[in-house]
Formats: sequence, C-alpha cells, structure tokens
Amino acid sequence: MEHIRNFCIIAHVDHGKSTLADRLLQLTGTISERDMMNQVLDSMDLEREKGVTIKASAVRMVYTAQDGLDYELNLIDTPGHVDFNYEVSRALAACEGALLIVDATQGIEAQTLANLYLALESDLVIVPVINKIDLPSARPDEVAQELENLMGYPAEEIVRISAKEGINVAQVLELVVNKVPPPKGNASEPLRALIFDSHYDSYKGVIAYVRVNEGEIRSGDSVKLMVTGAVVKPVEIGVFSPGMRPVDALRAGDVGYVATGLKTVAECRVGDTFTNPQRPAAAALPGYRKAKPMVFAGIYPTEGEDYPDLRDALDKLQLNDASLVFEPETSQALNFGFRCGFLGLFHMEIIQERLEREYDLDIVVTAPSVEYEVIMTDGEVLRVDSPAQLPDESLISEIREPWMALQIFSPTDYFGTIMDLISKRRGVFVSQEHPAPNRVQLNFEIPLSELIVDFFDALKSRSRGYASMDYQFLEYRPGNLVKLEVLVGGEAVDALAAIVHKENAYHKGQALVSKLKELIPRQLFDVAIQASSGGRIISRANVKAVRKDVLAKCYGGDITRKKKLLEKQKRGKRRMKMVGSVEIPQDAFMAVLRLEEE
Amino acid sequence: MMLHIPAYVEALTREMRSVGGRSGQKVRVHTLFFGGGTPSLLPPKSVERILTTAREVFAVQPEAEITLEANPGTVSREGLAALRAAGVNRLSMGMQSAHAEDLQLLQRGHTAEDVRQAVRWAREAGFENLSLDLIFGLPRLSLERWKITLEEALALDVEHLSLYSLIVEEGTPLARWVETGKVEAPDEDSAAEQYEWAMERLEAAGYVHYEISNWARRRAQGGHWGSLHNLQYWRNQPYYGFGAGAHGSLNGLRLVNAAEMAEYITRCAAGESQAYPRGPATVEVLEIDRETEIEETLMVGLRLTDEGVGRQAFWARFGEALEDRYPRQIEQLTREGLVELTDDRLRLTRRGRLLGNRVFSAFLGGD
Repeated sequence: MEHIRNFCIIAHVDHGKSTLADRLLQLTGTISERDMMNQVLDSMDLEREKGVTIKASAVRMVYTAQDGLDYELNLIDTPGHVDFNYEVSRALAACEGALLIVDATQGIEAQTLANLYLALESDLVIVPVINKIDLPSARPDEVAQELENLMGYPAEEIVRISAKEGINVAQVLELVVNKVPPPKGNASEPLRALIFDSHYDSYKGVIAYVRVNEGEIRSGDSVKLMVTGAVVKPVEIGVFSPGMRPVDALRAGDVGYVATGLKTVAECRVGDTFTNPQRPAAAALPGYRKAKPMVFAGIYPTEGEDYPDLRDALDKLQLNDASLVFEPETSQALNFGFRCGFLGLFHMEIIQERLEREYDLDIVVTAPSVEYEVIMTDGEVLRVDSPAQLPDESLISEIREPWMALQIFSPTDYFGTIMDLISKRRGVFVSQEHPAPNRVQLNFEIPLSELIVDFFDALKSRSRGYASMDYQFLEYRPGNLVKLEVLVGGEAVDALAAIVHKENAYHKGQALVSKLKELIPRQLFDVAIQASSGGRIISRANVKAVRKDVLAKCYGGDITRKKKLLEKQKRGKRRMKMVGSVEIPQDAFMAVLRLEEE
Repeated sequence: MMLHIPAYVEALTREMRSVGGRSGQKVRVHTLFFGGGTPSLLPPKSVERILTTAREVFAVQPEAEITLEANPGTVSREGLAALRAAGVNRLSMGMQSAHAEDLQLLQRGHTAEDVRQAVRWAREAGFENLSLDLIFGLPRLSLERWKITLEEALALDVEHLSLYSLIVEEGTPLARWVETGKVEAPDEDSAAEQYEWAMERLEAAGYVHYEISNWARRRAQGGHWGSLHNLQYWRNQPYYGFGAGAHGSLNGLRLVNAAEMAEYITRCAAGESQAYPRGPATVEVLEIDRETEIEETLMVGLRLTDEGVGRQAFWARFGEALEDRYPRQIEQLTREGLVELTDDRLRLTRRGRLLGNRVFSAFLGGD
C-alpha cells in the first residue's frame, strides 16, 4: 500500500486536463503510442467535442520512480462541469491527492476554485501545476503568484509544464509519488468500498468504479450495497489499465471496478458503499446523496410516430445516467412526450444532443423550468416543475423557488456589467474576494430560474468570455411569482407557460408576444397572440392573415420543379404543431429562451 | 449566339423530323409556341423554315394557334410582317411595366414607347391575337403606379393579358440587390392589393379571368382568346418540346432535352434514336404514374380559375370521382373558403386565387 497513489486532476474546462492525462498514460507505458487515441479518458465523442469530461474514469498506471521503485498510480478522472458537483465530490473522496491544473494564460477561474474547495473539503493534498507554458500569451509567473496567494504553495516550487508539447511532464509523476500520501486503511477490517462512478456495459451490467477504503473484495465474493441493501454476485472484479482487466482481489487502497451484472446504474448509485454481506461494516462511508434533478423540461418527438424511439433512447441513456429522470407527459400543443429532470442546464444540453446525435431523433425541447414548492391555501404543499401545472392563483398562498449560491470569478474590469446582469436577474450580492490581483470573486444568491435561461451566455458575452461561474443549491425561498400564460388564437398554449416574478411579468409577456409574432407564420386568418397573467391580458399582438401565396407562373417546363416547391412547402407545414387551428412552428416553443436582453 | 442560329435551326428541324417520323401516323397539332429566351431574335426566315418542317412532320391544323414570344425592343415592322406571312398568328410581348424605373429594375432594354409601336406594327401586319405580359408586386411599385401600367396596357386594346407577380429568382441581379438591401424586398400584401384591383378592373373591361395570371377578351363567336397552347399545359394534355432545354410530356413520360446549345446541336446531328417519344436530344425522362398524373392534373388544373377541374373529365380520365378521392381536402378547403365544388367542377374561389399554393399542396403527396 506504500506504493499506491490515488490522485485526480482538477481543472477548469479547457485548461488541459485530458491532454495531461494522455501524456501520463504514455509516459508510464500504460498505453502504447500506436494505440494512443487522443484523450483516452473522455470516451464519448460529445465530450471530446465539447472539451469537457462528463463521466469520470479511473486508470491504473505503473511508474518506476527516480527512487528506483515501482508505484501503482491510480488516476481518477473527474467531470469538469458545475452540474456534476456531486460526482466530482465522490471522485475526490476516492483520492488522497489532486493535481490542480491552471492554464498559464487564463489563470484561476471559478471552477478551479470550486473544485479546489471541494478537494480541500475531502482533505486532499493539492499539487498545483501550471499548464500551457508553450503558448506565447503564457504568464506562468503571474499565475504562480496567484496560486501562492490562493493556497500558500510557494510560487517557485510550482511545476510548469506543457502537456501538449510534453514539457516537464515527467516531473508531474515524481510530484505525485513524493507529495501525494499513500492510502491508509486496513485490509483486514470489514470491507468498505466507495462507488465513485459507474457505467453500463451490455455484457457485464453496471460496472461500478470503486475505491476500497478498508478490507478487500475477492473474485467470487458477493457484495452488499449498504444504502439499498441489495446483495449482488459480481460478474468479475478488476482494474482499468486502461481497458478492463480482471484481478483476483481489490484490497484497501486499491482503485478498480466491480462488474455487478445489475441492469441500471440507478440500482448502484454513486456514493453508495460496498461491503461484504458475511462480514458487514458497521456503517456506510459518509457523503452519500441521491442526485436530485434541478432543471426540468419537456422533450417531445417532432413526429408523433417517433415517441417509442424517444422512450427507448431515454431508457438507454438512463442506464448510464442515474441523474436523468423522466416520465410521460402530454401537451395539447406537442402531444406525447416526456417531462425530464436534469442536474442542470448543461446536463440538459448534453442529453438533448445525445438524443439528436446518437439516436438520430428530431425533438422539441420546451423551455426549462425549476421545481417550485407551491403552498396551497389549505396548507398542502405541491411540487410543480411544469408551469402549466400551476394551480389556480386563488388556491395558492405562497410559491417558493430554489435559490442558489453563485460564485462568479472574473477580471475586475467586468465588475460593473456583472453586477448589472445579476440585478436584472433578481440576484443578491453577498460578498467579494480578491484571490489574485485584478481578479475578483463575487458571491451572490440568485434564483435558479434566472440562471437556467441564457445566464451563462449572457455572462460570457458581457465579460468577453473571461468570467466563469459555479453554483450550488442554497434553499427554497418564497417569491412574488405568477404564472405567465400565452394564448394563441384565444387558446392557452401549455408549452409556452412560464412562472415569472410579478415585476417581470409585464415585460416578459411583451417580449414573448413580440418574439412569437416573428415566429408564427401568417395563416389563413388573423391570429391573436396574447400574454396573460393573473387573469389579465398584459400584452397582445396580431399576426395578420396571409393575403397572397400562389405561384405566379406554371407552364409546361415548370411543372415538375413547381411541384417539388409545393411539396417542400407542405413538408414545412407538416412539421408545425397545431394549437386549435393555428399552426405553430417548433422553434416558437423555445422562444422564451431567446428573449434578448435589452 | 447569332452565329449558332443556322446550326440550331438545322438541329431543331432534325429533331422534329426524328421524333415526328417515328410517331406512326402524323399527329394532329392544334398549337405551336415559340417561347423561352427571346425567339423574336430568330430571323423570320428561320421561323418559316421551322414551321414548314412542322407542317411536313405533323398534321398542323389550318386554324392552329401559332404563338411567338417577342421582346418589344427586338421587333421591326418588316420583321413582324414577315412572321405573320410565315404563319405566326399570335404574339406574346413582354411589356412588363409602363414605368422606365421598373423596366430598369427588371433590366429590360425596351421603353414604353417600344411597346406601343410594336403593338401598332403587329396590327398593321395583320395580327388579330396579341398578348402583353405585365409584372406587379415590384419593389417600390405603389397601387397608383400599377394602375397606370395596367391602364396603359388596356389602352393598347389587346386580346390577352398575363399579369405576373414578381418572383425574385435566385441568382438574378435583382436577387442580389434585394439581398444587399439596395432594393426593398417585394411586399406580398401590396402585391395582393394590386392583384385584387386588377381582377376588378379587368372584369369591368370585359376580360375573362381564366387562369391565375391570365386574362382574355371574349371572342365575338363565343369563348375567349385564352392561349390554347397554355391551356394544353393546364389541362395536363400532351405536348412535344423541341429545342435546347425544351420539355415535352406525352405517353406517360416527361422529357427534358439537353439545355446546352452545343450539346443539343451535337446530339441532334448525331441523330441517335431513342425509343419514341424520346428524341435525339432527350437527356432526362421521368415516368408519370397514375398517382403523379392525378396530382399534377389537379395542381395545374386548379390554376384554371374559370373552368377548374371538371368532375366529368376527371372521372373519364381516372375512373374515379374527384370528391371520393379527396373528400377531406375538399371539405377543408371549402370550409376555408379557398375552393368551391359545383355540380360540374372544382375550382378556386376568388380568395383561393391568391392562396393557390395552399390549395395545390393539399392535393400533393398524400396527407
């Protein structure tokens, strides 16, 4: 156990975590040059494209250090996005140390800090690494100073590398051996192994990624999940090197996998603890939490006939993603679909893209909503995640919405514009810190509903891409909230309803109506678009009836071409959704997402 | 271009002989139409030669309608007389507008005076069947200015008028101007207003609105001066197409000729014979199955705002009743006020004339 090092790499998106991981795998000969596929750890195409890691992995490397001894280095990858904070915290709990990668040009960013704090909470030894020193705009001295100010690590001792060019990467491995402590834990105690990640394998069922804290798992042993109480007989146990390689035993300090044979990752949740049913541990490892969806949206097939395919696709995604929840939902405008719950907006985008790309589905995603707590006049508490389901106002005594703690990290130049954005979004300033020169960390409290619609993009554009953010759930707070309904041709369109702050209702209603006026094509009759709140019409517009739609010419040589034109026009119409007798194009349902800030 | 003419006419007559020669007995032909491009650039001698060939190869009827499309800027008194003498008896001229700015926008080389003169010369030459093309819905064209154009055309006292709503075709200079904002995009509401006004004005002037974009004077002996040739298209009846890029439709096939002049000439010269009704220059053949034929019959037939699609004729041609085949579509379009089903026909309502695409597409591609 003295020769085991369990560590992870934490970094802001794009600071080069995956590239460094690749280099470490190469240097230790874990993967040959020939097999080198860039960024092995990110096995999903989407991750590679977005430059982020969605699922963690764990790879065992054998490294011969300068002291001449062989070390077993377990590199545990962590997701790089704020929506996956809980997963990050579990991956960190499986380690004794962390490499904190900071881009030599960008410096410290919000996620760097958020992850750093998480790592400190897990009592990890932090080894800072400055990456991308090969870039002309690199300013490693300044960044080293920022890091010293932040964590007290002497600037001159911070290793400076270029993972891309392979500069000083070997030093990183030495640091891991020398700075990261070996795992503690007694192999003779009752088994406790932390599940810090999982994926579904069609042959071996759910593969649980584990860190054995105490005791051991031997091949052929049954294991018990301490939270769910389920006992399973593993198909096999092993380590990733980097492919799955079966082993006879995983002992205290080891990182590896347990192929459970279970059918869904929901049966084997991240954070749960394996023990031995014959000789169970007294208590599970601390920190288990069931991931709770925070953001909800309807997902509907464009063509009704794709409904079963959409359900199958969601089922399959859920095999691998316990935090995705969904249930059937019916909308008068969009017909049959699913109400889906996500960890955050980013998680939602990933699911949407995977449905479109991997499952080749045409889908409509409605505007996202948070989950509201609605206190009825009779004292009953409803949880509402779809604005259309909000009961009649007269029956409601209070609506509570989730508030988040928000940290924004930015060059000081953008202080003013960020404060302005926050105040427009009903945010409240809490405090500020200056962890580095010319850099400010602003702490706010803000309703989640204000964060999920276009907030990140607005922040990026206001700060020219320099500001970064992180957020965590705080609490439910009562708000002066009202339902904003949209009526098209006199009929309320459920998929366009929103819950908004009373003060914003008028303004949002107006913006929504004018956006819809642009998006709804002219029909055979005038179409009234109205926004209503509290039983009052607060905004209206009229899409005038189409007066002329006819091909001026059609002679002998034209017939085939003109027919194709008409068929195309007809296909376009068919993709629209009928509300009453009004045809509404699909993108109108996303209109609320694109209400420009003025 | 001029250099090609003799070779082109040679190729054209070869093509006609090749196809006509393989048609079995001489096919009866009621109309001939010189159109596409600027046929008025063709020397009258060439026109005569083509007509002579047509008469040799086909049974061209003595009363056949023989139309030539003419650009008012390219005709002469003598030329028109020669065309008439060669047998052309109908001229279709692109007047487009009475306003110089509009003509400039459309890049037409002629003037309003050219049009007046061309009509005068045509009458002198003995043409009794003249048609003028006008364009409405032009950028910056107000209703008032459109009225001036139409009144000017009416004053020329012609048998037939085609009124086309401007289409900004991709790749044209106008499309580029609209794109770059040099010219305002045409406004469909103004176009609708201009069209509606024209419908009333022309009705008052005694013209029959027989197709979406076409009006004709009544003939003294009954019927009207509607283009018999174009009626052939709209009734989805067969026709031959000769020349580079020409389309034909017969025996359940739609045929397309090579569009490139050089290729067309080479192919006709080689004279390679493909099975009738294909000609030596046929490069594309589309088979028209029954479904397609029904759809196309409705798509083009409903353009005939007066005669529409006859219920008897439909039954006779397809062996089923129109209203049995499309009960849902007819019911909905009737409810929307776009079509009317009378005892003998299905046709567009007055409102439907402006919203024809909604009607045509309802009958396309199933549901």
